[in-house]
Amino acid sequence: MMMSKRPIRQELRVIGAEFLKTMKIWFSYPIMIVFWAIFPLLWVLPFVFQGRALVGSATSEAFRLLTGSGNYLAFVLIGAMISIFVFSALWGVGNSLREETYWGTMEYIIASPTHPLVILIGKTLAEWTWSSVMVFFQALIISLFFGVQFTLAKILPVLLLVVLLMIGFYGFAIAFAGFTLLIKEVHGWVHTLEWVFFLFSPIRYPVQVNPITALVSTLIPLTWALVAIRGIILLNRTEVSLYQTVAILVVMDIILLFAGYFLFVYLEKKTRRDGTVGMH
Amino acid sequence: MSERVDNTNSVVPALDCQQVVKLFRRGRGLKKKVIRALAGATLVVSHGELFGLLGPNGAGKTTLVRCIATLLIPDQGTIKLFGRDVFKESLFCRQRIGLLTSGERTLYWKLSARDNLRFFAALYGLNGKKRDQRIDYLLELLGLREVANERLERYSSGMKQKVSLARAMLHDPDILLLDEPTLGLDPQFARFIRRFIKEELNREQGKTIILTTHYMDEADELCDRIAFIDRGKIVDIKTPQEYKREIPHQEVIEVRCLGQPDISSLKNLTGVEQTQSEFNNGVTVLRIVVPRAETVLSEVIERLRLEAKILEIDVKEPTLEDVFIYMTGTSLAAETGQTAETASLEE
Repeated sequence: MMMSKRPIRQELRVIGAEFLKTMKIWFSYPIMIVFWAIFPLLWVLPFVFQGRALVGSATSEAFRLLTGSGNYLAFVLIGAMISIFVFSALWGVGNSLREETYWGTMEYIIASPTHPLVILIGKTLAEWTWSSVMVFFQALIISLFFGVQFTLAKILPVLLLVVLLMIGFYGFAIAFAGFTLLIKEVHGWVHTLEWVFFLFSPIRYPVQVNPITALVSTLIPLTWALVAIRGIILLNRTEVSLYQTVAILVVMDIILLFAGYFLFVYLEKKTRRDGTVGMH
Repeated sequence: MSERVDNTNSVVPALDCQQVVKLFRRGRGLKKKVIRALAGATLVVSHGELFGLLGPNGAGKTTLVRCIATLLIPDQGTIKLFGRDVFKESLFCRQRIGLLTSGERTLYWKLSARDNLRFFAALYGLNGKKRDQRIDYLLELLGLREVANERLERYSSGMKQKVSLARAMLHDPDILLLDEPTLGLDPQFARFIRRFIKEELNREQGKTIILTTHYMDEADELCDRIAFIDRGKIVDIKTPQEYKREIPHQEVIEVRCLGQPDISSLKNLTGVEQTQSEFNNGVTVLRIVVPRAETVLSEVIERLRLEAKILEIDVKEPTLEDVFIYMTGTSLAAETGQTAETASLEE
């Protein structure tokens, strides 16, 4: 279908309207706000107890041999923190069009002159804002209780890596959103993907412990980002490895964004051809 | 708001659907079925017309509306809005369509009516003061101003439907697609919506309206012309009056008059098949059975005026339901009617 272009200012206003709408709907559930307020605190404790139970102290020599840092708690907490961004993108963006279908509003979005991708960008922005607030508080807890120092010299390159990681990942999430329009199911797929990422990227453990996970993990941008972020925060790595990671992430971003865009456009059109836009 | 279409002197129809075919493929393997929801639907609607699509459930009304709204891509055929292909020039066409579907779950219940309208206004490029003025105007017009800032979850079904109607009108579209707008509403709200469609949207604002319904009274009351749709095909398009004249059906002229007129002269009128009179409390009710009332009505009035004071004249016509059954063999209340075929037949 041909959609002639609208002024960019109009599309930006739609993104703003979608952002506001998403936020208002979230804040209409007060119990969720309470949950998310205490979540950053509750989230840390299981990792601390699990680590202490396994090793008996706050550091591990075996861990140092694999990762370069013996502070396994900081390792795991950084992984969990960054994974919040990734999984919230999957749940938030991937699931967002399913939500519109449940609300009965999806057909009105598709029938409007606004492309649903613009709506997804608005949802991405809302999701990103929410995740950033969560991660900020988590970083604060890690800094206060686990001795991890976040200086400006560390924060800036880490932010760059997170942005690059998420650009590619939102490309993936947009394709996933299109996929959910077609398959009408989200939870099973997101859980499957979560476990794929837990297994094949160093969120909770160094993937080097197994040659297969080590190999597969190189295909996932999260692996490159996590290795570099931990290097900066825990090991004060040199700039050379940062440049290499940035280059790899940029290439992956380009591939994922283009693939995400074309897949979404194809799947949205297929849904309209099949006549299943409004179906649950 | 975008440029408006000049409706006044245009020869291009507001809507032109030609041979629209829509197939739905359901199931897999040996159980695969191809359902022919639209089987070459063709219709042309003029500017400012209130056009009805009347047919039983599953006849293809909603499928056709969804194709016009670009929600569904047809397998064959063309749909043009003001001369422009809805799929090739979708931005132009979507900006000119206002859509209202049946069912109350079409809005954000956690948001207020105003917030809902603000969001949808953004999708159509409305913003700032112009947007707020338009929203205020619509809320006032539909009697929602007092409750505009309350969440929709507290609204009744009828009030939600009013918000849906406001959303359809937000961007001042040239054509409104109203799919079963009164379905499930209590009589009071249904009456309001019907009056609003006819008097405000069609007469006052001159909107072209495509109305789907399976309520024959609604179609009869509102529509300038009606397309009967059955099994995905447009069976015929006529005015409600033309439809009723089409079928070989007797009509009854019912006259109430003061006194007891001599009706023997009426019996000799050409075309009068039967007369019947009933006198009660000083009022006579006459029933004159004729094939077509219009052929004898003026003569009946002339003769009766010499005999008595006429209080009321009514011509009982066949209903649209009668016409539909006569033309299709299917009742409007029936679940029909798409043609299900096996995959091998279609592909």
